[in-house]
Amino acid sequence: MIRLRIPRAPTSPPSALPAELRWDAPPTSVALLLTRREVLKAASVVAAAMSLPLVRTEQAWARARGRYFTARERITLGALCDRVFPADHDPGATALGVVKYVEGLLTALGVRHPPIFTGGPFSGRTPFADAARGVPGRKHPRNAFKRFPALTPRQELAWRLELYGTAEVPELAAFEAQFGPPKVGLRDIYRAGLQKVDDVAQATAGAPYAKLSTTDQDTVFGLLDAGAFAPDPRRNGATFIDIVIRHTLEGCFAAPEYGGNFRTRGWTMLGLEGDSQPLGYSIFDTTTGAYVERADHPMSTPNPDELGPGGTIVPRPLTADGLAVQTSIATLASIIPVDTV
Amino acid sequence: MRKRAVPAVLGNTTLATFDVCIIGSGAGGGTAAHVLTQAGKNVLVIEAGPNPFPGLDDPDVVPMPLHSNDELKYSVRGYIDQIGALEPRTWRQRATDAAQVRASVNTLPKTVGGAFTHADCKTPRFNAVDFRLKSAVEELIAATPGLAVPGFGGDAGSANFADWPFSYDDLEPFYVEAERLYGVQGTDDNPFASPRSAPYPMPPGVAMYLGVVLTRGALATSFLGSPLHPHTYPAAIASRPTDDGRPACVDCGLCSGFGCPSNAKGSPAVTSLRRALLSGRCQLRHDAQVVRLVHTGSHVGAVEYIDADGALQTATADAFMLAASPIESARLCLLSEGLGNGSGQVGRNLMFHLQSNVNGFLPERVHGQRGRAVTHGITDFRGVEPGGDALRVVPMPDGPRVYLGGICEFSSSQGLPITEDGGVYAVDLPGPFGRRRGIGLKNALRDGALGQHLIGLIMQAEDAPQLGNMMDLDPTVRDVFDRPVPRVTYASHAFERASRVFYVPFMRDVVTNAGASQAFVNPTDGALGDPPSSSHVLGTLRMGTDPATSVVDAGGRFHDVDNLWACDGSVFPTSSGYNPTLTIIAVALRIAHGIAGTAPIL
Repeated sequence: MIRLRIPRAPTSPPSALPAELRWDAPPTSVALLLTRREVLKAASVVAAAMSLPLVRTEQAWARARGRYFTARERITLGALCDRVFPADHDPGATALGVVKYVEGLLTALGVRHPPIFTGGPFSGRTPFADAARGVPGRKHPRNAFKRFPALTPRQELAWRLELYGTAEVPELAAFEAQFGPPKVGLRDIYRAGLQKVDDVAQATAGAPYAKLSTTDQDTVFGLLDAGAFAPDPRRNGATFIDIVIRHTLEGCFAAPEYGGNFRTRGWTMLGLEGDSQPLGYSIFDTTTGAYVERADHPMSTPNPDELGPGGTIVPRPLTADGLAVQTSIATLASIIPVDTV
Repeated sequence: MRKRAVPAVLGNTTLATFDVCIIGSGAGGGTAAHVLTQAGKNVLVIEAGPNPFPGLDDPDVVPMPLHSNDELKYSVRGYIDQIGALEPRTWRQRATDAAQVRASVNTLPKTVGGAFTHADCKTPRFNAVDFRLKSAVEELIAATPGLAVPGFGGDAGSANFADWPFSYDDLEPFYVEAERLYGVQGTDDNPFASPRSAPYPMPPGVAMYLGVVLTRGALATSFLGSPLHPHTYPAAIASRPTDDGRPACVDCGLCSGFGCPSNAKGSPAVTSLRRALLSGRCQLRHDAQVVRLVHTGSHVGAVEYIDADGALQTATADAFMLAASPIESARLCLLSEGLGNGSGQVGRNLMFHLQSNVNGFLPERVHGQRGRAVTHGITDFRGVEPGGDALRVVPMPDGPRVYLGGICEFSSSQGLPITEDGGVYAVDLPGPFGRRRGIGLKNALRDGALGQHLIGLIMQAEDAPQLGNMMDLDPTVRDVFDRPVPRVTYASHAFERASRVFYVPFMRDVVTNAGASQAFVNPTDGALGDPPSSSHVLGTLRMGTDPATSVVDAGGRFHDVDNLWACDGSVFPTSSGYNPTLTIIAVALRIAHGIAGTAPIL
């Protein structure tokens, strides 16, 4: 395993977000904005206030069904994730099930087998090897991934803290007091974050986020990512947007048992085989006492699709984006003198 | 806390009295449990972490573990890791700095089977010269005009090197036993390896493509007048079905950082510890966090631990062994009123390996998701002569020099899309350098720009022992068990900086000669202001003959406690430049056989 070590950014890019929408805006400036904006006429403020009980009812309804998001939150989150990982000729975030993945995480502790850690050892996606013949066999193991083992009491405690925050874990009150501000749980982070996404969309583009064109969604995303959310000191300085991006990647590429990676299409589009046990890539042939590699997925030789005539290697070209990140990493690494330890 | 449905105990649950209580079930503790039960002792093993091997005490079948090929489970959610949110650590570079709270400072996995569970189980031996490194360097300085080595000679006060209290020849039979017990694959193709009295138990498995490519690069690289000497990498991974019922490895790929779903990796759980449990003389209590040793100052009577349900329990035995990993073993002494610390050395001489990581991008896809993470490497940069009995003197423009680097692993990404690709582009790379979102992010992911193209060398370079590099108890921060957390004070020494500066250009040549573009050197943890992240944690309970300068004697017993031993990486006087686990196992075998009065089982 290679652990890359990347120097941190010297400065953050200048923010185009109006000062009153920044996370560190003085409290009064939001009120000023509200009075300035024509879109927020008195009538709509009243309407918003009237709808508050409805939102509460919907949250309670979601809870009763073992879910967390309201319909509107789900739509907003889906739109946001699709700007992180959009559809093209391959599916995007929502088609891969990212929203379901995030909701599965946020409601993980309400169920008998919390979807935090898959069971083991095998998913059943690949068969056992036929060891006597050195080929893939016909028999598939049962899917043990979907039998999520119960958490140990300490694991449960840690995940309760992660999802519900310090305030909801009274047995950790004294321990948590050592670390400054209380930890805000992921559930509250999502509820407040998605509300703010729609607030910013409304204030800057005149409609809730999901109702905007994808172009406007991209513009608003840029604003949201440039100061709308406070870096969380209890989460290594991550903002809500950082969390959404990480969870989007997880929902696209984690094992499908977690709710995303629909029909393993996340893996397929990357050319990955996914979990390969128990077949793996080399089969020990018990008859001959030798290892046999899989022709379709070789281990010691290049991929078949990059082999040219006479065994020459014809690399599949990278996109400009792939080349750019490679160059970024090599460039950033070389900023730091080798003799600095 | 919620009550457990399954009792957290395995093995012979009827045992009521114990000859030996071992704290920790990893490479040190599992090994000792095996030797002592074979010798007829009743052994209690207490493990702080959970058990991913239900049915580990079943005599009929090797258990199917809860481990799986799942990136999210291990790399993101830390299935076998110590839980940083409940057990943080603190870290500072110098004693004058304020310590910072971090979720992880060299924190090792906390699970039945210990840290070897997460490793890809690379098991090179140390060199013969490693056990008398201090004498060897001093003799060389005396015999070589102009030779200067940081931390030696006139600079000896800046480091704290010491010879081991036994030799390579003393340890060699235990290396043989260790390789058989854990099932090591390998072959004699490394000229710098020290002599062995028995062949490897198993031949090497299939080569990874990246191993083939970097082997070519190494053979095309000239170093001190000759090509480098690439070799297969010894590993405790079964390449043949084993006689303890484990299958041959299928090279599933999610190896380094993951538990093994098939038991082909020689985790202590399914090798030494399982044998101990099947002996009928061993009981394993897991999810049991030892918090204190109860003692008279020179004799330990009991340990106190917090069980899975949060209740304080006591266990008694005639003798006790610390095998909780260097930072936690030393911490237990300090949490027990400074037990065994007559020398003031407990927690000191904490060592990691200075890992130098040189990478580049291979034009074709390297598919590191197929294989055992590392199948090849070079030992030319360890800094010893062939056979590993003498140090290599390098003529430099400013005089003769000795550079004790380390073995280099040929490595690549393992094709992990969330953590090795997407997370780097979208979150780790700052602003304009990355691909935060959108089709750009998707393109970079589909390219596998890192996950399918990054290859390189990782050098596990020797780390000089220093008195000031240490763990002690943090004066303010406490863990969820209301105990002071370990505070790590660590800064690198000129000794390892010199070897990094000398060898890194050659490492870069290997990467370039393998056909990779844009070869670059990763900054170290220290250069980025981060705590060291190496999982090779050594020192803190130094082994030696002098009670004034060491904590335990040559047999692993505390100088000033008559029934307490240490048998993990904490006893190492020096760190050498090799993955340490096989040597941890061999030393634990030697210590345990010493207690039992038995000879290595060969």
